[in-house]
Amino acid sequence: MGRIENRIRRLRFDHDEMTQEELANRAGCTRQTIIALEQNKYVPSIELAFRIAKAFGVPLEEVFQNEDS
Amino acid sequence: MAPLQKRALYSFVIGLVLTIALTAVLVAQGDIAAFEKDPNLRLIMYAVLIGVPLVYLILVNITLRKPTQVDERDRLIIERSSRAQWLAVIFSLVAWTIALTEIYRDQGQVPIAFLQLIFMSTLIISALAQSFGILVGYWEMNRNG
Repeated sequence: MGRIENRIRRLRFDHDEMTQEELANRAGCTRQTIIALEQNKYVPSIELAFRIAKAFGVPLEEVFQNEDS
Repeated sequence: MAPLQKRALYSFVIGLVLTIALTAVLVAQGDIAAFEKDPNLRLIMYAVLIGVPLVYLILVNITLRKPTQVDERDRLIIERSSRAQWLAVIFSLVAWTIALTEIYRDQGQVPIAFLQLIFMSTLIISALAQSFGILVGYWEMNRNG
């Protein structure tokens, strides 16, 4: 299985420069976890991944991609 | 710094201060028998023995209940830190067992005050090791992911 990449930073800027704090509040996690995700230093659970996608109003695969796929 | 990370840092510092204070009291008392005979000190010890676990439990419950304070990443770090906590407790008990057995082997009995000391030190070591494990967990996660 390849590395899981994400487009959270890009999507935040596309959504009126949503702050990390705002995204954290919407997704129900801490700002530090958003920072870790953006730096690709943490792979979230399926549940958190769905909550982040929902916070942006996009499908899951628009936020997270498997490098190999 | 994550809220849990901050809390772990405070707990670590408080634990260290408590350890130094306890050691200072014991050194000031001279020997373990004097410590055992002082009723005021015993009462303080009982209050600490009951109070510390209670406060710890309440704080842990409050912390873990807030979703904006502790999330899945923090919970993962807490789970990993319990390994350090468990190891530290086991090693401290091993140290107590070997030390007391060797020191009091000739007498064939150990002063009763050691019961409180063993419990107190286990409690402090457990809290210190968990805080240390959490701090190391954040450091490792930030470094390696």
